[in-house]
Amino acid sequence: MADDALFEFLHMEIVAHVYRDLQFIKGETDNKDRASRVSILEGMGYRVGQGLIERLTRDSPCFKDELDVMKFICKDFWTKVFRRQVDNLRTNHQGTYVLQDNKFNLLTQLSNGKQYLDQAPKYLAFSCGVVRGALSNLGLESVVTAEVSIMPSCKFQVVIQKL
Amino acid sequence: MTVHNLYIFDRNGKCLYYNEWNRKKQAGISKEEEYKLMYGMLFSIRSFVSKMSPLDSKEGFQSFQTSRYRLHYFETPSGLKFVMNTDLSVSNARDALQHIYSNLYVENIVKNPTCILGNSLDSDLFSTRLDTFIRALPYYNPRTT
Repeated sequence: MADDALFEFLHMEIVAHVYRDLQFIKGETDNKDRASRVSILEGMGYRVGQGLIERLTRDSPCFKDELDVMKFICKDFWTKVFRRQVDNLRTNHQGTYVLQDNKFNLLTQLSNGKQYLDQAPKYLAFSCGVVRGALSNLGLESVVTAEVSIMPSCKFQVVIQKL
Repeated sequence: MTVHNLYIFDRNGKCLYYNEWNRKKQAGISKEEEYKLMYGMLFSIRSFVSKMSPLDSKEGFQSFQTSRYRLHYFETPSGLKFVMNTDLSVSNARDALQHIYSNLYVENIVKNPTCILGNSLDSDLFSTRLDTFIRALPYYNPRTT
């Protein structure tokens, strides 16, 4: 596997690039812009997640149900992508899951508490997309959001869309 | 046995970080002037040492001492300069400065997306970890002497 630092630096620059370029074009930032940038990052992550999950589940058998899929995401998928397992998985058994990671990979170098809290969502958008892409290629359409109150711990909320 | 203070300069001479642990006497000039003075002195000494040294030296200037303190200097290939003042009992702080660079600076500043190269180092994470590291050094022991 390639050095992890390569992806970290690339990710930092992707986020910076998306924010820099759009600002240059529009001239100022407002809520609508912020949302569109987050969705650009999320879209990138979506496509990456889709491809990744094909590769990672090559050799695994079919999943029995939704919960099984989520457990796979929390253990194997998270290990391969973020180099650790999810610390806590909660569900209401009706399609909503909350994954908590206490030392999220991309946030550990940012801060150890509240500094830079307002900038944290930018760096989580791509990862939300990766999770959504992975789930979509496993047959589950979902909406993934992330929230963070004390870094480097963060929670990803996955809501499975029932068709 | 103690560490007095630490400066970090970038390639252009701008002071990115300064912290003191045990400094009994201030310089009597503003902080900006003090940083400029320190950087200017280091620049001159390095150039002097490399020109006037009677022997071949691979490393160049590493430290100087007065009767009360010793100044340790470490420069990275990327032009970052780490300067630490300790008391005379510390003969070689090179390893500590190397550790500060590779484990604290690179991990917490370079990998921090909000820290822009050339700006002063604001990250609390970096400050706290550096502080913990300095206090854990075997030769750090703040006494009132």
